Order: sequence, then C-alpha cells, then structure tokens
Amino acid sequence: MIPAKFDYTRPGSVDEAVRALADGGEDAKVIAGGQSLLPLLRLRLSFPDLLVDVGGLGELRGVRDEGATLWIGALTTIDETARDPVIAQHCGLLAQTATLIADPAVRHRGTVGGALAHADPAGDLPAVATALDAMMIARGPAGERAIGAGEFFLDYLTTALEPSEILTGIRVPKLGPGWGYRYEKFHLTAQAWAIVGVAALARRANGHVAEARIGLTNMGLVPVRAQAAEQAVAGAEASAQSLRAAAERADEGTQPPSDLHGGSDYRRHLARVLTARALAVASGV
Amino acid sequence: MMELEHSFTIPVSPERAWQVLLDVEQVAPCMPGATVDSVDGDVVTGKVKVKVGPVALTYSGKARFTERDEQAKSITLEASGKETRGSGTASATVHSWLEPEGDQTRVMVHTTMNVTGRPAQFGRGVMADVSGRIIERFASNLAVQCAGGAPVGAAAGARTAAADGGPVAGADGAPLHPIEDLQLPVRTFNSLRREGIHTVRDLSARSEADLLTIPDLGPQSVSDIKQKLAEQGLALASVAGAGAATSAGPADTAAAPPPQAARPPDEDAIDLLSVAGFPVLKRALPIGVVAAVVITVLLLGRRRRRRRA
Repeated sequence: MIPAKFDYTRPGSVDEAVRALADGGEDAKVIAGGQSLLPLLRLRLSFPDLLVDVGGLGELRGVRDEGATLWIGALTTIDETARDPVIAQHCGLLAQTATLIADPAVRHRGTVGGALAHADPAGDLPAVATALDAMMIARGPAGERAIGAGEFFLDYLTTALEPSEILTGIRVPKLGPGWGYRYEKFHLTAQAWAIVGVAALARRANGHVAEARIGLTNMGLVPVRAQAAEQAVAGAEASAQSLRAAAERADEGTQPPSDLHGGSDYRRHLARVLTARALAVASGV
Repeated sequence: MMELEHSFTIPVSPERAWQVLLDVEQVAPCMPGATVDSVDGDVVTGKVKVKVGPVALTYSGKARFTERDEQAKSITLEASGKETRGSGTASATVHSWLEPEGDQTRVMVHTTMNVTGRPAQFGRGVMADVSGRIIERFASNLAVQCAGGAPVGAAAGARTAAADGGPVAGADGAPLHPIEDLQLPVRTFNSLRREGIHTVRDLSARSEADLLTIPDLGPQSVSDIKQKLAEQGLALASVAGAGAATSAGPADTAAAPPPQAARPPDEDAIDLLSVAGFPVLKRALPIGVVAAVVITVLLLGRRRRRRRA
C-alpha cells in the first residue's frame, strides 16, 4: 500500500533536525533507516505529517572508544554493529545480537538508534541495551541529556524521548575481563521477531558466577531485567545444574503477552529455557 | 477476542456513581482520544483515536446502552467501530457494575473486545496491549469523573453532591465550577459565555431581568437556566446586578411578563411548547424522529459519495 501524504525534510545538522522536529510538533517523526517506520507507513498504521530524515547526518555515525565506555552513533547500521572490531572486542553481546536481527537487507539499512527509539518490545536491541546498562544520549532544544536504559523504555513503542528530541547515540560500558555473553532468540521462521529473547551477561570468577545481568525481549511491554534470576545466579556455582535452577526464576515478575505466536505461559517457559541456555554460554559452562 | 478486567474505587456513594455511569454524555468523554459527534438517547456516535508511539488508528462508530439495571447497579455498553483510514473493525462490550465498599464505591469493569483487520495482525498483538491501556485510562478517567470532577446534571446526582463533598463553593455559596457543567443548550451556553458568564457563580449573581437583556437569550432559555440551577439547589439573583440595563423587579416570580423586545422571534416556536406542553411534543416527536433519520441517511450518503470522489 502507498503511505498517506507527508512532508519530508533532510536537515544538514542535528540542531537543524531538532528545530524541524520542534516546529513539526506531535506529528513530526524522525526517520533513519526506515526499517520499522516505513512498514508502518505502508500499512497505514502511522500518519506523520512530517518526516525528518536524519540519514545524512555524519555526526551520528561511527563508533568511538572513550576509555571505560564505547560511544556508538545512532546511525550505525545493524550490519556495521555486527562487524565492528571495537564493538566485538569490548561489547560482544551487541555484535552477536546484531547478527541475529532480521535479514541482511534490513541489517544494512536499519540503525541501532532507530531500533532503540522505535522501542518494539519484540525488537532485540532494547533488551540488550537494558542488560548492558547502556545510556541513551538524546539531543533536544534544551541540549543533550543521557537516559539510562531502565528509564528509556516507557511503554509499547514509547520511549522517554520528547517529540523534539533525537537519539544521537548510545554509551555502553565496556565489558571487562571475565565477562561472557550470549543472546538467545527463539523464532519460528528464519527471519522473524523474537517470540522471546534473552540477553545474558555473566562474570565468572573461581568456578563461580560472580554476577550476571539478564535482559528479556518480548516478555512485557518494555524490555525487562530478570532480576530474580540475576540474584539467584550471583555467587552460584558455574555448573549447568545450578544455572538451570537460577533460570527457573527468569519469568518472575514479568507479564508476557498472549498472541498468535504464543500464549503467555508458553513465553514464560521459553524465558526459563532460553535463560538457562544463555547463562550457560555466558558463563562458559 | 480479548477479555479485560478492571476495577477501581471512587470516594462517593454508589447512588452518585450510578448517576454518572448512566449519563452517556459524561461517560463517553472518559474514553481517551474520543470525540462525541452526536448523542441520541442511548446511542452515542463518535470517534476514538488511538495513538501509541508512531501508530495512530482512528475508529468511528457507535456506542449504546444495552442494559441498565438500577437494582443491581449494572450497565452494559456495546460499542462497535470501523477504522476511518483502513478496513479494520473493533467492537467491545463493556459490562460495568457497582459494589458498595464502606462509604465508597467499587466500580467493576469487564470488557470483551474484538479487533479485526491489519491492526490485529500487526507484530505481536498490538491491539491487546493498546486496548488494555485504553480501557485502563478509561477506567481512571471514569474514576475522576465519578469522584466529582464535574457534577452530574441529573437531579439525583446533584442532591447527593453536597453530601459527597461535591463542587467547590465560592464565597457566597455558589459553586465556582464552569457553566459547562450545567449542560445548557449550546446556544444558551454560547450567549452566556459571550456575556462573560463563565462560572455557575457568575450566573447566579445575575437576575432574570439581567439575563433577558442578553442578546439571543429568551424567556425559554432563562427558564432552562433556572431549572438547571434549581437542580443544583441554586437560583438566580433576585435583584438586578450591575449588568442590568432594564429596571429590575423581583425576578423570581416567573409569571412576571418579560420585556417583549428581549425575546428573539425564533423563540416563539419553543414558547408554543411551553404553553401547549406535552401533547404538542408527543405529536411532533415521531415527525422529528423520521426527519432525523432521513437527514442522517442523506448526510451519510453524501459523505460517502464525497469520499469516493
């Protein structure tokens, strides 16, 4: 289907883009790779009056090593994320997850910032950002601010970004030595949304798991941390059995949806199984 | 098909909550994103705009009461709508009932919802999340409404308003809430607003003679106003205020003939009703209904044709 009519502007700088958004009000929308927004437009589920195309803004591209953290520009494509050696070295979870997102065509156009700002609870990157404790860097008319992943995802397709704010990049803490990671994704067809996804990070010390961080995809309206399982696994022996026991608590406190792809109980089951698998790989069992 | 359960308590008696629940015109605006196009008895026609992030859906349709049980304090509302820019449909049956809880009321809302079309297929059940949120917001708006965000127009509601700590009262006892709450006819309301009368207190500070000097406000409108005020236990001022141009008398004597010049000619038809009363109304009603149906059909037809063009 052909999208409804909209105006289009391609600003030359972030500040210009922010101004365009502020002038456009509620019905202005940022477009980057367009891999989420264009389907919405073509399905006529979304009717923005103005699209602000940030695709040409070089200042939003690239990956920078900032010492303790990595800055990843919002326009970095999913494919670049999967291949970038700096990301692979310091933030392997992000790189591994990127290889699992959609198909090659989508990965070459879709951007990290776009996937996060779209905040689809079935999208993989929001849960990964949550597990990584990433900071979202947003710029608006009032300047720049950093929003923690925990406060960024507010609701279904809704983030803490103001209508006139642009996500310019994310700042991810580097994973130190001893950290392992794994993203487990369950989907029925080769390239589909996760029915459930689990992003696990674990730090191993002396044959035990010292600490773990687990982010869940599609187990609620926003990505959630499996806190009960994180606590259960902290200090536990790094064995398949104890990890499985901790993973039994992965669905605690979640409210997974029931839909065509699976019932709520099915999702809870998947979350437990996938958490056990992800933890096992992350802690090198 | 989805089933959603909500409940909330409101700090008023079940009797007052019941009055709010019955009033379509008050309940309908509680629906987030709803605009009411028309109210015809039990049937409300309107639109509901649903916006979640970049997704925006507009449904237009009807809602009507299918059951009202005063004894059980229970109502059933059926709503169905069609996407205005797509082919999807949405329908819902809302069953709501009141349970006393101490001196408060618990409002139970049970919703059965069915959504078809692209929104239903999109991603992972978008509509389950979205509609759940809508009902939640509807429930919380209803809670505010019941708690006396606006007083109910019905007499029974007004009587209990004082006991329930209803509207905020001004220094002279007349409430400061806006005259919208009196639910006056639109023309009357507009005339009053033009005259700078915004709150019930402003209104009750005027006398009948004052009001009759306002353009487009005839005796029928004034008697409407008096009736609405009486329902709130209020009355017009008995002595003309500063705004009065004509000589004032004890205005509350309804029999006092209003100055003829103040009565616009088009009020005559309505006056006929107040004289002949009910019989005329009864005879005119069927004609009115038929006319309304014909006009609606014509309008719908025209709108549809225009869209096709």
